[in-house]
Amino acid sequence: MKTISLTAVSVAALFAVTLAAEAQERGGVMTYGRYADSLFLDPVLNDANVDIWILSNMYDTLLLPSADGKGVEPGLATEWSVADDAMSVTLTLRDGIKFSDGTPITVEDVVWSLDRARNPDNGIWNFLLASVASVEAPDDKTVKLVLSQPDPAIEAALTVFNAAIMPKAAFEAMPGDTDAAKAEAFAKAPIGSGPFVLTSWDRGSKMELVRNEYYWAEGADGKPLPYLDGLTFEVIPDDATRILRLQSGEIDGAELIPFSRVNELDAAPGINMELFPSTRVQYVTLNVRPEIAGKENPLSDPKVREAMNYAANKMAIIQVVTYGVGTPMQTFMSSATPLAASNGPLYPYDLDKAKALIAESGYPDGFSTSILVLAGNQDEIGIATALQQMWSQIGVKLEILQVDNATRTQEYRDGTFDMRAAAWTNDIADPGQITSYFAYSPTIDALHSGWKSDEVDTLFVASQSEIDPKVRAEQYARIQEIFNTTGPTVPLYETPYPVALQDSVHGFVQIPLGNNIFRETWLEK
Amino acid sequence: MRARLRPRFPKCTNVRAPRVMLEYVLRRILQLIPTLLFILVVVFALVRLLPGDPASAVLGDRALDADVERINRELGLDQPIPVQFVLFVKSFVTGDLGNSIALKVPVSTLILERLPVTMMLTFMAAVFAVATSVPLAFLAALRRGRATDTVIRSGFQVGLSMPVFFVGLVLLTVFGARLRWFPVGGYGEGFFDHVYHLILPSITLALSLSAVLMRNLRSAVINVLDADYVAFAESKGLRSGIILFRHILRNALISTLAIFGLSIGTLLGGAVITESVFAVPGAGRLMVDSIYGRDYPVVQGLTVALAVLVSLTFLTTDLIQAWLDPRLKK
Repeated sequence: MKTISLTAVSVAALFAVTLAAEAQERGGVMTYGRYADSLFLDPVLNDANVDIWILSNMYDTLLLPSADGKGVEPGLATEWSVADDAMSVTLTLRDGIKFSDGTPITVEDVVWSLDRARNPDNGIWNFLLASVASVEAPDDKTVKLVLSQPDPAIEAALTVFNAAIMPKAAFEAMPGDTDAAKAEAFAKAPIGSGPFVLTSWDRGSKMELVRNEYYWAEGADGKPLPYLDGLTFEVIPDDATRILRLQSGEIDGAELIPFSRVNELDAAPGINMELFPSTRVQYVTLNVRPEIAGKENPLSDPKVREAMNYAANKMAIIQVVTYGVGTPMQTFMSSATPLAASNGPLYPYDLDKAKALIAESGYPDGFSTSILVLAGNQDEIGIATALQQMWSQIGVKLEILQVDNATRTQEYRDGTFDMRAAAWTNDIADPGQITSYFAYSPTIDALHSGWKSDEVDTLFVASQSEIDPKVRAEQYARIQEIFNTTGPTVPLYETPYPVALQDSVHGFVQIPLGNNIFRETWLEK
Repeated sequence: MRARLRPRFPKCTNVRAPRVMLEYVLRRILQLIPTLLFILVVVFALVRLLPGDPASAVLGDRALDADVERINRELGLDQPIPVQFVLFVKSFVTGDLGNSIALKVPVSTLILERLPVTMMLTFMAAVFAVATSVPLAFLAALRRGRATDTVIRSGFQVGLSMPVFFVGLVLLTVFGARLRWFPVGGYGEGFFDHVYHLILPSITLALSLSAVLMRNLRSAVINVLDADYVAFAESKGLRSGIILFRHILRNALISTLAIFGLSIGTLLGGAVITESVFAVPGAGRLMVDSIYGRDYPVVQGLTVALAVLVSLTFLTTDLIQAWLDPRLKK
């Protein structure tokens, strides 16, 4: 069996980019098979990955994420600088930038877009710009973000989809009295300044985009990007059908290839099986409240949690569920997250240690508990079944409850669940977001687990305005140490984004945050 | 009107027959109203009895309490249930089905976009099912107990016992990816392209229905074959074609037609999986996504639309049955 290491793939991807720099061909329409259709193409009000992951093809931001997902590159702004006191960011707009309808992008558009994005009444992403106190335009080329406190993640926040620049006049001309109503009308045929423009949308079936004639970036051949004339998204929910369409040559690429098919497609001639590094982590959340629904909760005992972590054979789960594609976790955040700790795999399998720990705990004879998994989700069912068998070795009897997503979310939010399978992907190239949800208790009670560490809470607040990178790194090292050793999760594995492409497709990248980037994609004829 | 209707009901020798028929149709349509009201109430209640709410479903695991509350307030879901129901019925009678919570477009638009796709798929499946099951059922019945009968029956048995998604994938692999006779899923553009794209899905969907129809029709034909009036017709020296169509088919079809009508509902249900496998943007997929997403307005609107559709199918099959056998009109 062929194993593909992430490093090898990243190196290969870099090489591909370097090689591609010499031989791009222009033209053609690329068809990409997606597992689900988008819902709502408003950068601020959307709330699903099916939107987020393609938005950057239609909308552009002041800054862009780098291909490795950790850094920041120029976008609509060519230069930017953070003030010495870290209380403001000044950005210079690129010359001659236009929206896809040909109207110039002005500082008014930028101020309006960022004000809309940070409005606490708009959507669920405004927290990313929470440090911004006001957005000003000192002149018609300059935008100044005045901050209420120093924000080490502000540059990264300006690359996130919700900070996209939209045309104020076109948006406000939309029918409707409220921002939400106007957004609904606007998002049907968005006007942005990304490399592509949406021209038709058959809901549940197909989206057609053409190249944006006004896109600012230049390709390696000195002519404007994108290389493609057009881009078509086809919705093919069934994994097997999506792969079949790729194999029959009807589509040029297919996302979310099941791990069980990765090796087969990697060996298939004419198909390039890509595993793009991601920020996706798979884990189990444990409810650690002393009581759940009036009953004593064994999961509140730290020794029990530690025992369960050691008894979970992650390498076996990686083999069974991800067919060896996944890698063990070294901290609660993915290794592609800035400041992620790397001290070797967490809780390597050690059954003897697990047995000793459970014997020392308040539950030496074991106990019964349950896990919520999504009905029909083979990965989660596989994980739960493996854990059921592994934990039976230390006397933990696990009941697997298959439910639908809304039911699980309800129990999760109410804090009435015992355990649940879960996955996470970052939306910003900064450890702040994941830490806020996982470890900082005021956000959502640390994954709705009821876990709380005063030290973590204090460190997190401090880290959110710490601009000395060294101090911030230390703060994050400590936060991770506390969470990893006493936290409310059983970390399982990280997985890349499995995308299968025809060999003729070059320059496509899915960055660690999940964004599908087609701006430098080209088709070999 | 009367003169035109009459030839369609050749067995109705009674002069008042068309009028009876018309009254029957009207009565049946009026009966739809309480049925639909009942469905409306049940769907409204059921979808709200499910755990979880639209805001949590839409926002997912990361939703903050404040966001969920804000969205529920915007959707009017913070109101007491009876108030919500009154508001719902009020806008419903004016033809306003509300907006989809997840997709932000009017439910009526979604239904008009997606339901015709499913209707076409179901219709084509029904045509395939009838076109294969009727001749083969006759053949099997006429060759009862012989090799032909056994082959036909076991063939359909296999069809009946194979899961839809499996059949779909086999057809896609063989006729789509390998032989390239048909597209590998999708829906195409323009009417004829749609029909072309729907051939494999409708065959898949037709398979289990045609098996049921074939078995039923075969035994019905066998029963009729043994009937005295067939023996009488034969002894009169009628041509076998006339016996086959006028005496055997007509009588054998009655019970099969009832099953066919009832199966349309099942067929619509089967369309959910078929649409998923073949990437057909139909109402089935929309329904499943909307239930998972707790998209109340879509679930409500679509259920009512489907209920009307199924009721109309029942009505049509009842009418055809009544035409075949006037005794059933009472």
